[in-house]
Amino acid sequence: MVEKQTLLGKIFDLSNHIFLSLFALFCLFPFWIMVIASFTDDMVLKIDGYLPWARKFSLEAYKWVLAGKEVQIGYQVTIFITIVGTVGSIIVMSGLAYVMSLKRFKHRNKLAFYVFFVMIFVPGVVPWFIVCRNIYGLKDNIQALIVPMMVQPFWVFVLRNFFASLPVELIESAYIDGASDAIILYKIVLPLSTPVIATVGLFMAVAYWNDWFLAVMLLDFAKFRPLSVIILRMVNNIQAIQQAMQQQGTTIHLENLPTQSIRMATAAITIGPIILVYPFVQKYFVRGLVLGAIKG
Amino acid sequence: MNSLTKISKYSLPQEGRGTWHFGSYVRENWSLLLLPLPGIVLILMFSYIPMLGNIMAFEDFSPKTGFFSQWVGFRNFTLLLNSPQIGRLIRNTLLLNTMFIAATTFFAVGIALLLNEVRSVFYKRIAQSIMFLPFFMGWTIVAMVLYGLIDYDVGTINGFLVKLGMGRIIITDKPQLWPWILTLIRVWKDTGSGCIIYLAVLVGIDPQLYEAAAIDGANRWQRMRHISLPSLIPIIILLTLMAIGKIFYGDFGMIYTVVGNRALLYPTTDVIDTYILRALRTNSNYGLNAAVGLTQSILGFICIFGANWLAKLYSKARGEDYAIF
Repeated sequence: MVEKQTLLGKIFDLSNHIFLSLFALFCLFPFWIMVIASFTDDMVLKIDGYLPWARKFSLEAYKWVLAGKEVQIGYQVTIFITIVGTVGSIIVMSGLAYVMSLKRFKHRNKLAFYVFFVMIFVPGVVPWFIVCRNIYGLKDNIQALIVPMMVQPFWVFVLRNFFASLPVELIESAYIDGASDAIILYKIVLPLSTPVIATVGLFMAVAYWNDWFLAVMLLDFAKFRPLSVIILRMVNNIQAIQQAMQQQGTTIHLENLPTQSIRMATAAITIGPIILVYPFVQKYFVRGLVLGAIKG
Repeated sequence: MNSLTKISKYSLPQEGRGTWHFGSYVRENWSLLLLPLPGIVLILMFSYIPMLGNIMAFEDFSPKTGFFSQWVGFRNFTLLLNSPQIGRLIRNTLLLNTMFIAATTFFAVGIALLLNEVRSVFYKRIAQSIMFLPFFMGWTIVAMVLYGLIDYDVGTINGFLVKLGMGRIIITDKPQLWPWILTLIRVWKDTGSGCIIYLAVLVGIDPQLYEAAAIDGANRWQRMRHISLPSLIPIIILLTLMAIGKIFYGDFGMIYTVVGNRALLYPTTDVIDTYILRALRTNSNYGLNAAVGLTQSILGFICIFGANWLAKLYSKARGEDYAIF
C-alpha cells in the first residue's frame, strides 16, 4: 500500500521504532551483561561489578571453564541427552501421532483421548518421583535424564494435526499398493512434514538442553551432571565453582579462581550451541508454531 | 498377497465387520500397531501409573511398604487443611499466575501490533530475532544472569546506583518486590515467542480493510485500534482461557531456580509446585506431599473444565467453534 506520509504518520513511525528498539534492547541486555562480563578481568568485576561496557579484556575465565573436568563431562552429558532425547522423542511421538491421524484406524479417538487425558489431569510429582526411582530404577543413570520427558502430549497433538492435513490420497494409495504403515510414515509422511518436525525438534532440543528438573530429582550421587545443573549450583555456592573447575591431578585454591567471570563464562558456553541451531530452523519455525497453536 | 487382501477389503466393504479376525488383523497391520506402542508405554509409565500412585495421599507412606502402606483415609488432607501453608501456597499460585498471564498477554499483543506497523522487513526481522533470544535461555542460566544483575556486591543494578552516587540496595531481602521481578522475567522471556501467533493472525487480515479505512480518513493509530486489535480478540480470549485452565501449574521452573532457597522470599513467591519439590528433597512425609499434589491435580482439572466451558460459551455466542477440546 503506497500512501503519502503525513506528519502524524511520521511521528507514529518514529515512536513505534523507538519503543520496539527499547524493548529489543531490554531482551538483549542480560545476554550483553553475560558476554561482556565473561570477557572481563576478574579483579575489575570484583571491584566494580558487572557493568555493560567493555573494560579490561581477559580470556582467563574461558581457559578455566574449558579445562574444568566437571564442565567437560557436563558438556558431553548435555549434548548426549539433547541428541538422543530429541531424535527419540520425534520417533516415538510421530509414531503415535501418525496412527492418531489415520482415518482407517478405528480406535484413533480412543488413542487420542488416552494421550489427551494426561494433559488435563496431571499425575502429581510425588508418586512420579517414587515410581521413577523405586520401580523403574531411574536413579543416578543417564536414561533418567532422557526417558521421562520423551513424550509430550501437546506436541503429539501438533504432529497429529499436521499429519492429518496432508493429502489423504497419498497415504491411502501407498497403503493399497501394499506399503506398510512404517514405510508410509518414514518414506512419505515425515519427508512431507519438515516444518512441523523442525519446530517440534527445536522445542524438544531446547527442553532437553536446558532441563534441570530430571537431574535435580533423579540424580543423587552420580559422577556426572548436565551443564544446566552445574550452573544452578554455581549461582550461590562458591565451592561448586571450585569443584567444577577441578582439573586432572591438580588442586585449586579458591582465591586464585576468577569466580565472577567464570560464572558468566559458564553461562555463555552453555547457551552458545543451542542458539546456533536457531538460524537453521528459523524458516520452518513460525509456520510450525502457528499451526500448532491454532489447531492444538 | 498382502496387497490383494487390502484391495479386496476396500472393494468389498460389506465384508468388514462379519469376518473380522484378531489374528489376521494383527498380521496385516503389525506396523500400525507397533508404531504407537513406545509412546503408549511411555505415557502409561510416566503418567497413568503415577496417577494411580496418588493413592499414597491416603496412606501413611513409607518407602519400605511402598504403595501398600497403612491406609489412613483423609488424615493427610485434614492435616493439610489445618496447616497455615496451604492458604499461602494457593494464594501465591493464583496471584503470581494471574500477574504472569495479564502481563505476558499485554506485551505479546502490544509488540505484535507494533511490529505489524513496521514497514522495513529488515528491521522487523532483526527485532523479532532479538526478542526471540530469551526463549533459548534455560531457567538455570536465567538464575545465574539474574544474580549478575541484582547481587549486592557485584550486581549491575547496584553498580549503576553507585555510579550515580546513591547507596546500594539489598534486593534479595525485599519479598514485596519479587512478584514484580518474576513478572518482569516472564515478560522478558515470553514476549518474543508469544507474539508470533498474534503476528500470524495480523498477516492474514485483508489489506483492503486498511485501505478502505485509510480512504475514510482513519490514521495509523486508529487503524491499529479499530482493525488490527479487534481481529486479535478471539485468539486472545482463547489463549487466555487456556492459560487460566493451567493456572494451578504455572511456570514453577522459573520460581524454583530463580528464587532458590532464599526462605526470606517464600511469603510472596512460594507456590504449590516449589513447595512439593522442596519437600520431596528435604522431608520424607511423602503421604502429605502427595496430598498437596493430588489437591493441585483436582483443582487444576476443575479449572481446565471451567475454562473450556467458558470458551464454548464464548464461541457459541460468536457462532464459531473455538472450544479447547
